[in-house]
Amino acid sequence: MTVLAGRASRATIIASVCSREWREALGNKLLVGMTLFPPIVILGAGVFAVAAAALYPPSEKDLRAIYAAAPAVAGLDPTEAVQGIIAQYFLVLFMLIPTVVPLTIAIYSVIGEKAARTLEPLLATPVGVGELLLAKSIASTIPAVVVTWIAYVIYLVSVVLLGSPAAVRAVTAPRWILAVVVMVPLLTALSVNLGILISTRVNDVRVAQQIGGLVVVPVVALGIAQVTGRVVLDDSSFIQMTVFLIVVDLVVFFLARLAFQRENILTRWR
Amino acid sequence: MAVVLRTDALTKRFGPLTAVDRLDIEVREGEIFGFLGPNGAGKTTTLRLLCALIAPTSGSAELAGMRLGRDDERIRASVGILTEHPGLYERLTAAENLRFFASLYGLDKRTADAQVDRFLGLMGLTEQRDRPVATFSRGMKQKMAIARAALHEPRILFLDEPTTGLDPDAARTVRDLITSLAREGRTVFLCTHNLDEADRLCDRIAFFRHRVIRIAEPDSLRAELYGRTVEIRVVPAPLPAHLERIRAVAGVREAWLENGSILVRTDDPLRTDPAMVRTLVDAGADVAFVSERRASLEDVYLRVVHEEGEGT
Repeated sequence: MTVLAGRASRATIIASVCSREWREALGNKLLVGMTLFPPIVILGAGVFAVAAAALYPPSEKDLRAIYAAAPAVAGLDPTEAVQGIIAQYFLVLFMLIPTVVPLTIAIYSVIGEKAARTLEPLLATPVGVGELLLAKSIASTIPAVVVTWIAYVIYLVSVVLLGSPAAVRAVTAPRWILAVVVMVPLLTALSVNLGILISTRVNDVRVAQQIGGLVVVPVVALGIAQVTGRVVLDDSSFIQMTVFLIVVDLVVFFLARLAFQRENILTRWR
Repeated sequence: MAVVLRTDALTKRFGPLTAVDRLDIEVREGEIFGFLGPNGAGKTTTLRLLCALIAPTSGSAELAGMRLGRDDERIRASVGILTEHPGLYERLTAAENLRFFASLYGLDKRTADAQVDRFLGLMGLTEQRDRPVATFSRGMKQKMAIARAALHEPRILFLDEPTTGLDPDAARTVRDLITSLAREGRTVFLCTHNLDEADRLCDRIAFFRHRVIRIAEPDSLRAELYGRTVEIRVVPAPLPAHLERIRAVAGVREAWLENGSILVRTDDPLRTDPAMVRTLVDAGADVAFVSERRASLEDVYLRVVHEEGEGT
C-alpha cells in the first residue's frame, strides 16, 4: 500500500498558499476594486495637485500661511514652494496605502475562508498553523507592497516630469525613499496581521474593516504633524520608527498566532 | 489483520459537555468501519480527535503506529478526512483545488498531476477539471471533497456522510471507491446516517452516542438481537392450525401470521426449515415458498440506540 503524503517545505507551503489566494483574489472583482481604488485615487490626486500648483500660483495670503506652516520652503519661489509642500503632503498619503489595502485583502483571506468553510480541510493537512498564518500574511502583504511601490514610482516620475526642483527634492529625499522601501512593508505587515487578528473575532467583512480602519489614525496624525511642522522627522526618528514598527509587527503577529489555533478555529469560530 | 487505529479511554469535554466519553475502539487495516449514531452524538468530534485536529481532554489514541498528541503532523499526513461541508475554493477549478491540496501534502508536481487525473477520473469529473467549482452541483462538490480526502493515498480515510446529497449514480461511484480503497488495504472509517449503506459496506459497525454502545458485524448484531426470521408462504392462506403445528417444531423460538405468511424466528433455519415444510405438507397445506427475512440495520440501530437512551 502506497502512502504518498510527506512534509511540504515551508517555501512550498508559502508559494502554494500565495498562488491560491492570489488566484481567488483576482477572481473577486470587489476585492480587486477595493485594492486598486485607494492607490489610484491618491496617485491621481497627487499628480493632479502638483500639476495644478504650477498652473495656479498661490495668493500672497496663502503663501504666508504656507511659509508659516512649513519653514523648510520659506523663501522659495511661490510655485516651487507650493509644489514642494504638496508633493511632500501626498507622500504622507502614500503611507496610507499600505495600511488600507492589505487590511482588506487580509480580512477577505480569513473571513472568506470562514464563510466558505474551507479552513477545516486546510487544517487537516500536515501544515502547521504557524506556517499557514505566515503564508497568509505574506500572501496579503506582497500585493499591497507591490501596489504601493508601483504607485510611488509613477508618482516619482510624474513629479520629476511636472514638478519644481523643490517638489523633486521632497519626493526623492532619502528619508522618504527609506520610508517607502522599509516602512511600507512594515506598515503593510502590521495592517495584515491586525486584519487577521480582527478576522478571528468577527464574521462580517464590513465590521472587520471598520475596526481595522483605526490603524490609519496614527499614520494620518503623524503625517499631519510632520507636514505642519509640529514634528520634524529626521533620519534618527525614522530609524526609531522603523525599529518600533518591527517590534509592533512581531507583537501583532504573535497575537494573531495565539488567536489562530487549530482547535479554536474548528470549535469556537462561527 | 493488523490493528491500525486503537483508542484508549479517549475523551473530549467542552466545558460541562462530554462529547466523547472514554472511547475504546480498535479498527483493523483494510476494514470498512461504520460509526453510527444520532445527530449530536459526538461523531464529528471523534473524527476531529482521530485526525489530530483537536486535542483530547484525556485518554490516548494510536493511528498506524503514531501517537496522538506526539505525532500529530505525521498523523495528518497519513489520514484523509471528508468533512461535513465540502469546503472547496469556489473560484478555483477542480484541478486547481486538488493540486493545491496535493502541494500541501508534499506531493511533487508529477505525482500531484497524476493523482489529480486519477481521482478526477474515478469521480467522473475529468471533463469538468478546468471548470470553476462554483459552477458545480452539490453532488459534484461532494465528489470533489472525497477526491481531495483520498488524493494523497492515506492509510486511514475518515468519511463524514460521504453520499449525502449524491444522486444514486454518484452514490454508487463513491461506494465503489470506498470498496476499492479497502481492497487496497486502506482503512475506511465511515460516519453515516445511511444505514442501508453501512449495512452494504461495513465489515463492522459501532453504535455511538458520546460513548460506544455496541461494536459488531452487522449480521451478528442482527442475529443476536432478532435471531433469524423465516417467511413461509402458504396458498391460498395459512390457517391457525398451521401456525400451531409450526410452533410445535423443535428449534422454533416464535411464530406469527403476517400478510398471508407464517413468520418464524429460529436460531438454525437449516435444521428447522425442512421440518417446518414437512409439518405443513403433512397438514395438507400448499407451501409456495420459504425464504429468510433479514432484520434491517435500521431495526437494529433503532433498538440499540433506544435501549441505550432508556438505560441512561
